[in-house]
Amino acid sequence: MSLVVLVVACEIEKVEIPRPDRALALHGVLSASAYSQVVLLERTRNGSVSVRAPSFDLEDPLGSDSGIAEPDAIVTLTTPSGATLVAKEDITELFGTGSGVYRFSLSGSALERNGTYRLSVLTRAGEQLAAETIVPGGVAAVTAEPRTFDRATDEIVLEWPESRSARSYLVRIETPFGPRSFFTDGTRVRLGGDLRNSDADGLPRVFIPGFPQAVTVSAVDSNYYDWFRSHNDALSGTGLLNRVRGGLGVFGSLVRLRLLDLNVVAPQREAAAGTFRFVGTPAEVSSTRYLSLELYVESAAARGDQPDALTGRAVKRLSLGEAGCGLCGVLGSASNGHVELQFLSAWSARDTAETFVGELRGDTLIGTYRGAGGVGRFVRQ
Amino acid sequence: MSLRRACWSIAALIAFAPARLVSQDARPAVVAGRVLVRADTAATVPASGVTVGVVGTSIVATTAADGRFVLASAPTGARTLRIRLPGYRTTDRALRLVGGDTVRVDVVLERSVQLLSPVRTDARRIEAELFQTRPNISTVVIEAQAMAGVPRVGEADVVRVVQLMPGVVARNDFNTGLTVRGGEADQNLVLLDGFTLYNPFHLGGLFSTFMDATVGGIELLTGAFPARYGGRLSSVLDVRSAEDFRPGVHTTADLSALGATARFAGGFGGGSGAWSIAGRRTYADAMQSIFTDDVFPYHFHDLQGHATYALANGTRISVTAYQGRDVLDADLASFEADSIRVKSNRGRWAFDWGNQLLGVVVAKDLGARTTIEQRLSTSGFTTRLDLGSGASTQRSEVRDIRAAGSLRVRGDVHDGAIGYELVAQRIRYASGSPQTETTLFDLTQRPVTAALWLDDLWQLSPRWLLEGGLRAEALSGRSWAALSPRVSLKYFVSPQLALTAGAGRVTQTMQSLAGDGALRYFDVWLASDSFIPVSTAWHWVAGAERRMGDAGSVRIEGFVKRYDRVLEADPSEDPQVRGDEFLSATGLAYGVDMIARWQRRSGASGWITYTYGVSRRARDGRTWAPGSDRRHDLNLVATRPLAKYRLGARFNFATGTPYTPIVGGVTRRVYDPSLDRWGTGDPEILIESLGGAHNSKRFPVTHRLDLDVSRELVVRGATVAPYISVANVYNARNVFVYLYKYSTDVPTRRAISQFPILPSAGVRVAF
Repeated sequence: MSLVVLVVACEIEKVEIPRPDRALALHGVLSASAYSQVVLLERTRNGSVSVRAPSFDLEDPLGSDSGIAEPDAIVTLTTPSGATLVAKEDITELFGTGSGVYRFSLSGSALERNGTYRLSVLTRAGEQLAAETIVPGGVAAVTAEPRTFDRATDEIVLEWPESRSARSYLVRIETPFGPRSFFTDGTRVRLGGDLRNSDADGLPRVFIPGFPQAVTVSAVDSNYYDWFRSHNDALSGTGLLNRVRGGLGVFGSLVRLRLLDLNVVAPQREAAAGTFRFVGTPAEVSSTRYLSLELYVESAAARGDQPDALTGRAVKRLSLGEAGCGLCGVLGSASNGHVELQFLSAWSARDTAETFVGELRGDTLIGTYRGAGGVGRFVRQ
Repeated sequence: MSLRRACWSIAALIAFAPARLVSQDARPAVVAGRVLVRADTAATVPASGVTVGVVGTSIVATTAADGRFVLASAPTGARTLRIRLPGYRTTDRALRLVGGDTVRVDVVLERSVQLLSPVRTDARRIEAELFQTRPNISTVVIEAQAMAGVPRVGEADVVRVVQLMPGVVARNDFNTGLTVRGGEADQNLVLLDGFTLYNPFHLGGLFSTFMDATVGGIELLTGAFPARYGGRLSSVLDVRSAEDFRPGVHTTADLSALGATARFAGGFGGGSGAWSIAGRRTYADAMQSIFTDDVFPYHFHDLQGHATYALANGTRISVTAYQGRDVLDADLASFEADSIRVKSNRGRWAFDWGNQLLGVVVAKDLGARTTIEQRLSTSGFTTRLDLGSGASTQRSEVRDIRAAGSLRVRGDVHDGAIGYELVAQRIRYASGSPQTETTLFDLTQRPVTAALWLDDLWQLSPRWLLEGGLRAEALSGRSWAALSPRVSLKYFVSPQLALTAGAGRVTQTMQSLAGDGALRYFDVWLASDSFIPVSTAWHWVAGAERRMGDAGSVRIEGFVKRYDRVLEADPSEDPQVRGDEFLSATGLAYGVDMIARWQRRSGASGWITYTYGVSRRARDGRTWAPGSDRRHDLNLVATRPLAKYRLGARFNFATGTPYTPIVGGVTRRVYDPSLDRWGTGDPEILIESLGGAHNSKRFPVTHRLDLDVSRELVVRGATVAPYISVANVYNARNVFVYLYKYSTDVPTRRAISQFPILPSAGVRVAF
């Protein structure tokens, strides 16, 4: 039906409308595995700020995401024992980042399981927010369990102990196309290599060869569960379950029960698959950005006029003082010897740093970089 | 007494009910005779199933297989005998009946000249007869010929015609759901030959499941319905299959912009039986693959069969079967490349939904005045969604086995019936992920509902008709039982003018999770149980109806519908918790609706309907108008032959329905438990709309003119009728929804249109 509406309906009018009032929005989660607890405070959008394509900065989640940060609020947390903690805003004078990011010096290990924590916010304008959460029981998984996961043959059966006062369990798998996450009431989940990501456009596979992928299972409280399972209907703007008094948002808590760090691999039987190393003159070797490639045929083409999908990783030469990944994700395609690769800024399919277009001649992959220019020549190892 | 035992008791009560419920006149007249029909060969053959009745009374009989009938207790005096058979000209005979005498009447019925609708009911006559013989409150019979003249949108659709009836409001152009006198779309009991269809729509409500060629007639009851109907709060729409008793095989084929329909039908058993099978399939998917390299992953189909046969002993058997399915099955990896060049890593989307129905009716005349009928059916509606080959699945299904029966006894002043209905349902609503072996929810219900009803039409005097009824219902799983009285009254001010009034209590034990949105894909049904209460309402109707000759009529009715309890889907329900699926509210709907019809065999025909309605819901001290609340709704429909052409037009003017304005957006930030950080930029920023006061604003008025031109040609013995329809001829800019944008520094509101100017063409071939 939506398709029909898209085909038949059209825009017949576009008018500017007055800006409505802005409300306070709060995002806060107490995590038993975090070094400190963070609360984000911002304003709802009312057409006063344009959202730009973000270059996301973990240290500045509001500012780099075009959020309308609410600075200079007094944010306090009352522990089950009655102690009151005051959060400190992350804002830095030099870069102006961290506005609206309020941090409590409270280690997750100090969170009292099954205890009630009360959050209070007082803004400069005198507005007040209040919310509380009961931290679920359970032992936090602090360190990751590393595993190599062959997508073709392996499966993961994750189990975890039941957590007292947990409303539900959140299973989340990081992927280059966005995470696959879901709630379950059970204490077991099976993750096969052919699992599809129903949270991402196009239903790609969850496990992508060449990529490191984290898998977490967290016990969550009812606030977290209700906020993240609900959504507002786009037309009526209703449906979200909000338990923050005086504003909108969530103040929840979670205990990360399992943390797996998967190195996803797959068989490399196809011509375009394998490990390739850059070769060239000493000058070329010293200047090339990408030193080696590990490529997999992620999916064979379903139609003759389309290429196979490639994935993998690349070893990248970092310039002096350059931040970023030394080992980065690669997505691409291969068709009749023609190869196109997108070198990612890190591991997200959303951020491409460079594109390589070339041909596979025997065991040699040769081509040019679209961004920086220059020739790249990789030989299968 | 357990519910199951109670149900058997109801059945036994029917079986041993007294054969005569009413007293009889001591010296009635007797009318006996035989009805024949003229076949294509010009020979005459006996006609079974012909309705023979005395006009202005409830005295009626049906001819047996040999065409014979007897009216054993006909009233004396100057009377008109009316003989009706679908597909044949209705015939009247004037009689003077004397008490104790027997009058013999033999009739030969001639075939109707309407080539393309040879088997359709003559609603004009039926309406006139109903006007005289029943209170007939809030009832509209729609003539097939009138439906054929209404401009179509892609495909002729009887439910779109129903939307043009008084008291019925269309939510928008994209939705064939019926909003009847302030009720929601799930409050309509939709029947095919008396059997329940749970979701009679395709393509998310854009088309109904009824193929135009298979429809023999429609009866719509919008309020205060008789006691034999139950289970829904707002209306009853009974669609009857067309029956073609002509010998041989007769074919009708429709080609439209949407799809192709074929129907094969004919008579058998020397006119004692009729059969038909029909099928329809959309072909956009096939056309796409022919002309492009891309795929269009959607189609729907319908299959319908119907047969009826009259045995020599006065027993009539009818069978109706229907199966339809919408299929949206896409292998996303096989889509043509566009801006996204690599699609081979994409998964499969499988989504299908549809109805299945099989029903049998056995009816037998026990003498001239008594008819016993037994119905047995199974009906179901299922949906299945599978994202990513088992990564995420959801399914819903409702299946029932239904037994119903009635015993009807017709007297001179009373026409009484007693009946029962026993329904066992299986309902399942589940979601999960087979791939991860997790279950989000899995709800199974097995309710059993039982009903016993009593209905009596009492001709108090030549001026007064009273129809009273009582419906007793019970539902397992909730220990719920209720008595629902129904009453309607008609007073003839003159033979052409009547005043009517009616009232009744209605209940609904099946509830839909579809919600109150502008788009309604399909209903996901749950039954009332210990968590979900039964919805109840009262109808109050008063009006007047005037006949103007045989072809014209005007009816105006005022209505009040008070919802003691009405349920709406809870948009925030927790799938892992029972009991929060619905929110309960009270409600009130009132208004006035009017229809003026002009139905002639030739020349211009049409109707005008106008509905003024007010609908309110209330909960926890808060009052709001539901999304379907439309204050004024005017429809003008006209068809007119012009030389060799038939012109059809439809104009609608309607005030706007309520909507909730969006007053901002909130950024949904996601906590990443693997990094213990707020947001990673992945997933991309999501801004959710924030609603203002619920349904506090209204869309602007809408208006639309549709035109239709068709012509009938005879080509090598076949009748060929091409047509062109244009919806929204002058391209009125009617608003469907508003989309708000607060993610720029200039907030904007965009209006998205309903149908723009939308031409379509097709052809019907009959031979």
